[in-house]
Amino acid sequence: MTTYAKSTGRRFWFRPQWAAALVALVIALLVPLYLQIHSPYWLHVLIVAYFYAILASSWSLLAGYAGQFSFGHMAFMAIGAYTTGLIGRLVRLTTAPTGMCAEIPLPGRDLWLVFINTVGDNCLELGKVNMPAGTLIYRPPILSGIILGALIAGLAGLAIGALVLRFKAAYLALFTIAFSEILRTLIRGEPQITRGDHGLRVAPLFPQTISRVPDYYTMLAILVASLLFMYWLASSRVGLFLRAIREDEEAAAARGVDVVRYKVLTFVITSMLAGLAGAFFAHYITILSPNIIVLPQMGLVIAMAIIGGVESLAAAAIGGMIIQISLELLREFEAWRLVIFGALLILTLRFARNGLLAPLLQRLSGTVPRAESREEASQAELGEEVGA
Amino acid sequence: MKYFLSLCTTGVIMGVIYALMALGLTLIFSILRVINFAHGEFYMLGGYASYFILSTFTGLHPLLAVPLAGLIAALIGLAFEIAFLRPMHQGRIERPDEYAILITFGLSFFLMNLALAVFGPYPHRPPSFFQGAVRLGFVNVSADRLTASILSLALLTLLLLIINKTWIGIALQAVSQNKDAAAVVGINPLRMNTLAFGLGVGLAATAGALLAPSFLIVPDVGAVPSIRSYVIIVLGGMGSIQGSILGGLLIGLVESLGAGYFPDPSRALNYKTAFGLVIFALVLLFRPRGFFGRKEV
Repeated sequence: MTTYAKSTGRRFWFRPQWAAALVALVIALLVPLYLQIHSPYWLHVLIVAYFYAILASSWSLLAGYAGQFSFGHMAFMAIGAYTTGLIGRLVRLTTAPTGMCAEIPLPGRDLWLVFINTVGDNCLELGKVNMPAGTLIYRPPILSGIILGALIAGLAGLAIGALVLRFKAAYLALFTIAFSEILRTLIRGEPQITRGDHGLRVAPLFPQTISRVPDYYTMLAILVASLLFMYWLASSRVGLFLRAIREDEEAAAARGVDVVRYKVLTFVITSMLAGLAGAFFAHYITILSPNIIVLPQMGLVIAMAIIGGVESLAAAAIGGMIIQISLELLREFEAWRLVIFGALLILTLRFARNGLLAPLLQRLSGTVPRAESREEASQAELGEEVGA
Repeated sequence: MKYFLSLCTTGVIMGVIYALMALGLTLIFSILRVINFAHGEFYMLGGYASYFILSTFTGLHPLLAVPLAGLIAALIGLAFEIAFLRPMHQGRIERPDEYAILITFGLSFFLMNLALAVFGPYPHRPPSFFQGAVRLGFVNVSADRLTASILSLALLTLLLLIINKTWIGIALQAVSQNKDAAAVVGINPLRMNTLAFGLGVGLAATAGALLAPSFLIVPDVGAVPSIRSYVIIVLGGMGSIQGSILGGLLIGLVESLGAGYFPDPSRALNYKTAFGLVIFALVLLFRPRGFFGRKEV
C-alpha cells in the first residue's frame, strides 16, 4: 500500500524513475540519427524490440496486476495484424458501384465500400465494365485498418473474457492456449482468404521512403503511449482494484469490487494493445504468415515479461527489448538461444519471482523493495539449503 | 450407415489413445492440483525418445521402445517435480496457483526449444510396429494405429486396477481427496505428488511413442494433443478419472464424425481441432464442472 501512495505522490515529475525514463526517451529519440547512417539493420532490430516491449508490458499488466495468465496474447496480436492485412487485400472504396461485388454505399458521399470475393473471378475486375469512365478505386486508409484491428482484437478479448474469466485463473490459460492454436490452424486452413503459408502481403505504412526512421518513431510512439496509458490505469482506482483481486479475489468481492468486470476490462484493454501493436507491425514487416502465433513466440513474450519482472510494466518492457537485442547478438547460437532463455525463465520463476530487472530498477530509483519480497528472497535462499 | 459406423470405429480407436494421454493430465491435476502445461512436450519427448532408442539399437523391436520412452520421460518428470513443484507444496512459493501455471508453461517452452535445437525442425519417423492394415468391419485401420489403440486400452485397464486395487493406488486416491487426512494415516503427500507427476507425464510420453509411427514427430507435435487433452479434462470434469476416459472417447468420436461429415472435405482436417474449442466453450457455458467434476470451479 505504501508503494501505491508513493508513486502517486505530488512531486510526480521529480521522482528519479521518471527522470531516468526521460533520459531513456531522449536517447531513444536520438539513436536513429546515428544508426540511420551507420547501421540501418540495427534500426530494424530496435523496431522489433519495441514491438516485443509493447507485447511483454501489456502481458504483464494482465499477469502482474490482475493475476490472469493469457497464452493467447500473440493470437490477439495476430487478429490485429490480419484484420488490417485483410482489409487492405479485400476492401476497396470506389466512386461508382461495381454491380458485381458485395457493396455498401457510404451515406452522404458518392463512395461505395466494396468487398472483393475470395472464390472465383475477381468481382472488382468484372465490375469495371459497369463502372463509368473516370471511376476511382481507393484502398481504405491504413489508419482505419489499424484502428479496426485493435477494436476487433478487443472484441475477441471481450467474448473470451466474458466466457472464461468467471472461473479460476487456470481456465483462461487453458482456453487461450486452445484459441491461439486453433486460430493459427484456421488462418493456415483458409488460404483463399488469408493466403495461408504463402503469406499475406500488407501495404507499407510509409511507401514514399525506404528509410526505417519513420517506422522507428511510430513504433516508439506506440510503445511510449501504451506504457503511459498502462501506468495511468495501474495508478487509478482500476489498478487498485486489480491488485486487490490478485491478492485475494474473494476478499475483494466481499468489499464490493466487481471482480469479473475488472478482470474482463483489463483483458480487453491488453488484447487491444496487442492488436494495435500487431496491426502496426503488419504494415512494417509487410508480410504475414500464420507462424506469428506459434506457441514458442508466445513463450518468448512471457519469458521477456517474467525475466524482466512481471509486476513492473517498465521492467517487462525493458526485458522485452534486452531479450530481443540479445537474440540478435547471440545469432551464432541459433536454436540454442531460446533454450537458454527457456532455462532462464524457469530459474527466474523459481528463484527470483520479481524478475531480474525489476529489483534492479527499484534499487536505482531508490524505492525500497517491499518487505514481503525481501522475505520471499530469504525464503528462497533457505529453500535452496533445505532442498539441496 | 456403413459410413457412420466406420467413422465411429476410427473415432473409438483414436479416442482410447486420447483418453490415455488425458488420464495422465488428470492424474497430475487430481493429486497436485496443477495443470501441466508441458503435457504436450512430454508427448513429443516420448516420440523422440522412441525414435532415438530405435536408431541407436537397430535390432530392437519397435514395440519395446514404447515403455522405455515412457520411462525416460517419467524420470525427467520426477526430477522436474522434485526441483520445481515440491517447493510449492512445502509452502515455500508465493502465489502457488500462478506459479504452477507459469512454471509448467516455462518447461513447455524450454523442452520445445530444446527439441528444436537437438533434432532440428525436420520431421522424424520411427519405424512401424507392424506393416499394413487390418480390416475392421467396414473400415481399414493401419496396423500401427490399431496396435497403439489396443496397447492404450490395456494400459488404461492396468492403471484402473492399480488405482483401485493396490495400496499405492488407494494412497493416491486418499491424497487426492484430502491431503491432511492422508498425511495423518501415514501417507507422505509429497512423495505421492512426485509419483503422480512422473506417472502422468510417463503416460503422455507413452501416447507419444505409440503414435509416433503414425504421425511424424516435429518439435511442436505436442501442441494439438495437449490442447485436446485440456478439452477432455474440462469436459470430463477436472480431476475425474472416469471423466477423462469418457471424455477421450467422446472427443475421438466428435473429431472423427465432425471431420467425416464436414461439408467441405478438403478443409475438414483443419477444422478437426476447432471442434474441441467449441466443446470447451459449450462446457464452460452450460456445465462448467464437466461430467464428473467436483463443484469447486
